[in-house]
Amino acid sequence: MPYFDHSATTPIHPEVLNIITDVSKNIYGNPSSVYASGRKAKAIIEEARKNIAIAIDASPSDIIFTGGGSEANNIVLWDLIHREKKHVVTSAIEHPAILTVLKKLEPMGITYTVLPVNPQGRIDPEQLNKSIQSDTGLISIMMANNEVGTIQPINELIEIAQNHEIPFHSDTVQTLGKIPLSVREFSADYMSFSAHKFYGPKGVGFLYKKEGSPLNPLIIGGGQERKLRAGTENVPGIAGMGKAVLLASQNQSQHMKHLEALETSFIALLNRECPIAIINGSPTHHLPGVISVSFPGNKSDILLAKLDRIGMEVSSGSACGSGSVKPSPVLEAMGIPESQNISTLRFSFGRDNTQEDVTALVMALNQFTNE
Amino acid sequence: MNNRIIVGISGGVDSSVTALLLQKKGFDVECVFMKNWEGNDDEYCTAEEDYKDALAVCDHLGLPLRSVNFSQEYWDKVFQHFIDEYKKGRTPNPDVLCNREVKFKAFLDYALELGAEKIATGHYSIIDELNGDFKLLKGLDPGKDQSYFLYLLGQNALSKSIFPIGDIEKKEVRKLAEESGLVNHAKKDSTGVCFIGEQKFFKEFLKKYIPSNPGMIETIDGKECGKHDGLMYYTIGQRKGLGIGGGYGKLEAPWFVAEKDLYRNVLIVAQGHTHPALYHKQLFADQIHWIRGLVPEDLSGLSAKIRYRQSDQKCKITELSQDRCTVVFDKPQFAITPGQSVVFYRDNECLGGAVIDRRK
Repeated sequence: MPYFDHSATTPIHPEVLNIITDVSKNIYGNPSSVYASGRKAKAIIEEARKNIAIAIDASPSDIIFTGGGSEANNIVLWDLIHREKKHVVTSAIEHPAILTVLKKLEPMGITYTVLPVNPQGRIDPEQLNKSIQSDTGLISIMMANNEVGTIQPINELIEIAQNHEIPFHSDTVQTLGKIPLSVREFSADYMSFSAHKFYGPKGVGFLYKKEGSPLNPLIIGGGQERKLRAGTENVPGIAGMGKAVLLASQNQSQHMKHLEALETSFIALLNRECPIAIINGSPTHHLPGVISVSFPGNKSDILLAKLDRIGMEVSSGSACGSGSVKPSPVLEAMGIPESQNISTLRFSFGRDNTQEDVTALVMALNQFTNE
Repeated sequence: MNNRIIVGISGGVDSSVTALLLQKKGFDVECVFMKNWEGNDDEYCTAEEDYKDALAVCDHLGLPLRSVNFSQEYWDKVFQHFIDEYKKGRTPNPDVLCNREVKFKAFLDYALELGAEKIATGHYSIIDELNGDFKLLKGLDPGKDQSYFLYLLGQNALSKSIFPIGDIEKKEVRKLAEESGLVNHAKKDSTGVCFIGEQKFFKEFLKKYIPSNPGMIETIDGKECGKHDGLMYYTIGQRKGLGIGGGYGKLEAPWFVAEKDLYRNVLIVAQGHTHPALYHKQLFADQIHWIRGLVPEDLSGLSAKIRYRQSDQKCKITELSQDRCTVVFDKPQFAITPGQSVVFYRDNECLGGAVIDRRK
């Protein structure tokens, strides 16, 4: 399947689809209702909560279901308006669901410091240390970047946060199933997840919140999710997400090996067939199967359109920015010159991709960059 | 040589039928939606709705749709000039420049990079080729002819463009759209400047970019008769919105903008549509462009339009240099407006044009 944009979204896993269909058909109750159909629905979402908790070594009460990753990020950031300490430290390569929200919060008295990254997209922990102020109330740094796949020195960053007793949030949307995630080893206060990034349904996600870490609801109403996120639960979506997490954690090492193998052969072939290609990001601290490549002299929108014409789907910059030739702010923050920036494509492989797909992709890139 | 045509699709009925007709003729058609304006001016900009319509049409016809953003090009090459002209008290025509700089330059280059043989747009004009020489002709529908807006195109752009609806009447275009089940077959024609939208927003829009400088209104005889909000908000020949009742003065007739005195920041008005101060026989124009590259050998039988949709006016070019010309009309012309274009025709052929600088 010539779909190489799994960081944007993933096709739903057939077993996940079965569960969603089954629950949609048969479980109509409202989980808040006390009679049988309500109890059934409640049992379904609690089963999902348990499976998700087990997958990241958390406790079920740490899991708050949301309408996706952006909502999870918003809940954490909007909580700052209730806090005394209103300064946030974040990074220059965060998703718009962090940076745009902080901008929106500015008139409400929230201030923030944006940490720079090195040319590989990594933050220097010493910079974080220096940026902390007496009124810093939150540090929000993504675990792995969606555009270049760079993984942050997250444990060092969390340690700094803990030394200063500042809550730490991480946008971990890109990570589930691609790097081992255990809250025992990785002690963030909050983490945001989105089901459609790991072969689950769209429009559903969850927020991990460590027990005792402060949080107020953003959406208020019927008091669902232990009063942290009101609204009748998306029962089929949550059931599907529970299954998707289960599958992702069961298949994790195999999936990672598959992605690494595709990545290795992609890079080897690319070096041979497309010597102009420049690979961005960190070769060592890196999500498997997410590769940002610049093709100097070839504008990304043209390459994208030519690949689309033969049914090959990739991304330029982040998916939200498509249709625009603007340089990617993430690559800009890494100090990549504009001419290289606007010639960059992101390839992100997934479970259905094969070695043949990768070969066909490189052959197409070779052809289109030589036209 | 391939068969690929890239259609600039706007979400309107004209460009949609353009795509439809080319598809019926068996071309390999791809559509591109151009986004040329960005900002928080969403209340003026219908781009999102237009994109949805374009998507619905392409989906219905089974054609691929891409979108491309030329807002930087538009800002640099069209909008800056638009603002500069207003600051000088002139009335620019951004659509003419948009065609030269964006649709038939940035978009054309993009389409060629994508391997298109030609681009197509929904303009009501006709391109006539004879031995590699390209003429621009008026569209068949006299009420819709858009050659006025295309006079800045040259041989290169015309050789790589097609206007499939140029020889069809508008009502026929709508009929074709309806027969093919296009959702936008009855969509209203766009009016006004594309990035501002309806005329009523115009003042508010300009205010954001140019500081307004209020002043006095005087009659042609030098009598003060009111106040203006800033000269840039008025156009030569304008009647509405002057705040002077028809009853003011000797006659019952309405008042019209006759001139702008930039030096004194005074708006000069004349009463009655037939007032001689509103009419001139001669104009001076610059930035001449000839569609076929060279000055036409024969300039006899010439006519011109000084605004879109005006009927052809008989005229002569009495002086002509590389860049400037003097045009004398057979009959006096109402409201010759600096900043607008004078476009030359012989019969149905659009020969080129120039930008009006002064009149006498």
